[in-house]
Amino acid sequence: MSALHDDWSQFAGIYYREVVKTFRNPWVILITLAQPFMWLAFFGSSFSGLSCAEIESIFHTPTCNYVTFLLPGVLATSMLTIGMFGAMSVIQDKRLGYLKRVLITPTRKSTIFLAKALGATTRGLVQFPVMIVAAFFFGVSYATMSPLFWAGWILALFLLGIGFSSLYLIVTAHSTDWQTPGVLSNFITMPLMFSSQALFPAQNFPWWMQGISSVNPVTYAATFGRNAIVYGTGSWIDLGYLAIFAVAMLLIGFGVYARFLRVE
Amino acid sequence: MSAPAEVAIDVRHLTERYGSFTALSDISLTIRQGEVFGLLGPNGAGKTTLIKVLTAFLPPTEGTATVGGLDVVRDERRVKGRVGWVAAEVILDDEMSAMENLWVQAKLQALGPDWRERGTALLEYLGLGPNADWRVSKFSTGMRKKLEIALALLHQPSVIFMDEPTIGLDAATRRMLWELIQRVHREYGVTVLLTTHYIEEADVLCDRVAIIDRGRIIASGTPDELKGRLEADLIEIETTDRIDPDPLRALPGVQDVRADGRRLTLKVARADEVLPSLLGAIPPQMLRRINVERPNLEAVFLELTGRRLGTEEGPVDMRRFYGQILRARR
Repeated sequence: MSALHDDWSQFAGIYYREVVKTFRNPWVILITLAQPFMWLAFFGSSFSGLSCAEIESIFHTPTCNYVTFLLPGVLATSMLTIGMFGAMSVIQDKRLGYLKRVLITPTRKSTIFLAKALGATTRGLVQFPVMIVAAFFFGVSYATMSPLFWAGWILALFLLGIGFSSLYLIVTAHSTDWQTPGVLSNFITMPLMFSSQALFPAQNFPWWMQGISSVNPVTYAATFGRNAIVYGTGSWIDLGYLAIFAVAMLLIGFGVYARFLRVE
Repeated sequence: MSAPAEVAIDVRHLTERYGSFTALSDISLTIRQGEVFGLLGPNGAGKTTLIKVLTAFLPPTEGTATVGGLDVVRDERRVKGRVGWVAAEVILDDEMSAMENLWVQAKLQALGPDWRERGTALLEYLGLGPNADWRVSKFSTGMRKKLEIALALLHQPSVIFMDEPTIGLDAATRRMLWELIQRVHREYGVTVLLTTHYIEEADVLCDRVAIIDRGRIIASGTPDELKGRLEADLIEIETTDRIDPDPLRALPGVQDVRADGRRLTLKVARADEVLPSLLGAIPPQMLRRINVERPNLEAVFLELTGRRLGTEEGPVDMRRFYGQILRARR
């Protein structure tokens, strides 16, 4: 058996366990799906008193509908927080000793890292089809049905998910504390969400927030999705930026796990 | 230079340090293929650390270790593919079924599709056949232990490591597990290295035993050889106050006296002959406890270390402990 075959097998084992365990709990599915939906319902409705002209002048949406603007932003934002679950799962495995069980097999630490990051990303991507259907009921209309743009949008969310799942895994590599992923999530979500153009366009931001916005990966996922689907003008450079972010985070993660992963 | 085929485990001058703490100190050990080898020692003696090194989980600080002729550092992944491991604390995924636990293990060991057949056979063999699709959270402690053994055997390892296999189990489950280990060893022909601090367990299960204390191997051999080294009975005496051990050394039949605070350990030819004169030599009101130990592994350990296996803290530590309490009160 080749080494690659072994790595693939080990990856499949960890990834499958991750995904199956996530979705075996019906409440997890329900809440995971309900949360972005509530964004659309509550936050999306907060501008319903504005006139069409006002909405168009602020958000540049063609259809007089803020939810259209919001949808790609909310999907991007949830990929930012969902990575927390990958880190929590590793911490649980440390505490229960399961990580030791895995590491007494020929499994590489980088394989564990990849499987956990992908597991969390998968959890986030499950929201995608549900949100698309839900958005229909909020009157969202799409500028394009180009499969290339749609695939690009999903890819953007995927890359964002991988990048942030990796960030959580990196920060918690040495931790066995349940609280760490939650604390990190609380800390980064607010600034990254509001500076990301997920909720509002950057043109009204102060200069310093525009600066953060322009390096914030969430911006690129939200903007690519919005440009592609709402305006039909997605820029592939945004995708390239996200790809660099994801790959860089993965590589840092492999290195950190190889050196600093605490097992018990 | 590779080890001869019949050697399952070869450890040479192995030292393991965690920071300034030395967990294992210059251990050398050879275990033959097909042997059941026991590492006997109190908690914290370094048994688990040795298992971690031999499962290629922890690289040695100094020295070398090979398993099946493969070096645990150079051939880390291949070693891991050849050893099975049964943890002291049962480590299973409670939220998955027995079969799913086996599936994940098969994937981690990169087994081919025949794992299912072998897994099913193992569950049958261990009496878990009807429970294959149960969630592990519904398993009893004994069933969990069996499933752990199934996981350890799934990839047909040449050596399995069992870390305190019966710790925390009730007497009946322990006996069941002993039988199971013997059966598995017989039928799968696998080399077993187990750690234990139960004398009885080492005596019942092991072909050979190494006694390990404070990171060093202080004796090794078959259980009978070790007991034979002690051609004497041991008498343990606890007194209310320190007494002078010298007059006791002079008593007929006494070979050696080891004094440790208010505890004395006497090595005597025959306890029944020495006891009457011994009782005459100590004022009765000073006697708190007398215990006679016939040759067994516990007595060997006692003889070698002056401490008992089951207790982690010797008399010296207890005194310090009381001292701390007294100081804290003041």
